[in-house]
Amino acid sequence: MPINTSLEYAPAASPVAGTDTEPLPTVSRATEALSDLLAGFTRAWMWSALAYQDIRLRYRGSLLGPFWITLTNLVLLVAMGAIYAALFKIETSTYIPFLMTGLLVWQFLSTVVNESCSTFTAAQDVIQQVPLPFSIQAYRTVYRNLIVLAHNAVIIPFGLILFAVPVTWRVLEIFPALLVLCVNGIWISLLLGTVSTRFRDVPPIVGNAVQVVFFITPIFWPIDAVGDWKPLLVLSPVFAAIDVVRAPLLGEATSPHSWTILLACTVVGGAFGLGFFVRFRERIAYWI
Amino acid sequence: MPFLHLRHICVEFPIYQGSSRSLKKILISGTTKGNLARDAFDRVNVRALSDVSFDVENGERFGIIGPNGAGKTTLLKVLAGIYKPTQGHASISGRAMALINASVGLNPDATGRENIILRGMYMDIHPRAMRRHVDAVAEFTELGDYLDMPVRTYSSGMMVRLAFAISTCIRPEILVLDEWLAAGDAQFLIKAQKRMEEFVSGSSIVVLASHSLDLVRQWCRRAIYLREGVVQAVGPVEDVVARYEAALS
Repeated sequence: MPINTSLEYAPAASPVAGTDTEPLPTVSRATEALSDLLAGFTRAWMWSALAYQDIRLRYRGSLLGPFWITLTNLVLLVAMGAIYAALFKIETSTYIPFLMTGLLVWQFLSTVVNESCSTFTAAQDVIQQVPLPFSIQAYRTVYRNLIVLAHNAVIIPFGLILFAVPVTWRVLEIFPALLVLCVNGIWISLLLGTVSTRFRDVPPIVGNAVQVVFFITPIFWPIDAVGDWKPLLVLSPVFAAIDVVRAPLLGEATSPHSWTILLACTVVGGAFGLGFFVRFRERIAYWI
Repeated sequence: MPFLHLRHICVEFPIYQGSSRSLKKILISGTTKGNLARDAFDRVNVRALSDVSFDVENGERFGIIGPNGAGKTTLLKVLAGIYKPTQGHASISGRAMALINASVGLNPDATGRENIILRGMYMDIHPRAMRRHVDAVAEFTELGDYLDMPVRTYSSGMMVRLAFAISTCIRPEILVLDEWLAAGDAQFLIKAQKRMEEFVSGSSIVVLASHSLDLVRQWCRRAIYLREGVVQAVGPVEDVVARYEAALS
């Protein structure tokens, strides 16, 4: 057969000399994952633009856009504020600012956790077609919720003024607090995003867990109302996360352990999330 | 200098149909023995590529042919850096640009012009840099006023023109093309071929997967023939195509 002479059959014969003898260099998983995180982070223009696009698409054709959530919150605040203030026998002027700031942080935390499940599945098309750093999707999830948070925060100054809450220099503490919350959001997105591509029943489980956490965390009820349970509750990282933003906004000092617990959670969770991402990053494209 | 060196590449897809995708099954199977355990880990692995080795050097136009399910698109995705091979090693030097699907990154409600910027973003090009290419892209597509219409009004051929023009507005080091390119009309294909010849005369690699043997014969100098993920032949395009045709008849 004349054809055979010009053909290189693979894999039987080696198509190129030295195929088996010269091993090609391999980069370790950890290095690849870390450079993914870094390459993603330096593309701030990309994830911020994608996050804005998400918001635009979500509210396309709606009159108020993302301010719909702000309006919903306002209604919720008025309704809950009136009833629960009476229930807990607290002045509405104390209760409403407490509820308003607590809900603001909670909504950010809960949507970050819920949406982190779809970090990679929502970007399925792109992940299957274009080799971009995976971490971009995690930054995008967190940044998108930060934009929503900014919309929700619009009512905060009005509320604080209306109820004459003293604003002190302490309020600046919310910036490092939000930064730490965002760092937590990133590891949660990487972790839950990856797990959810493999196990499709993780998102509903997470959704249910988040709902339970809402009721057992002092968000719409004051922590003093639980009495003896208080020392235990202040150890909750969710309480700590809310406390570090809520207390400064209300001009109060944060609970003594909040920052310690939150930072410990960031370090431990971050290490775990990173380890998980290092191990399974290259499987995401397969699982999706 | 871009190059593609593939050594003993295997790509296996785990198929998580129903059972093994469920966390419950996995958890239960850890505690119970018998059918459930087998059920949960009885994963079906589809081997899309099996022991694929070949090299593509700088300035080459390389074709991938084979019947449906041969692993052509999977191989393209390995070359584009989307799938990391489960075994073997792919040494890829140069920035790969993959055109695997014409519509990726295109927002159907945005106009053609707006989509040039959007798609550029997925190509890792900053919107500011992309704006400088808009006119050149517009000219290449020959879509005229259609560029100011939403992309959802486009025919598939027009979509191909737009996607191809955007993806090639900046000379990629490695251009990876899937079959959909053939949806363009004859005039467009001539134009596209001319652009690609410009690329490879510089320092680029073009890899094209197609059913159309004529297209591969015209565009490529070397080719690989895959069947069910196994390499049947690698070499000069005429010989590889002849072998494929012999297998068909």
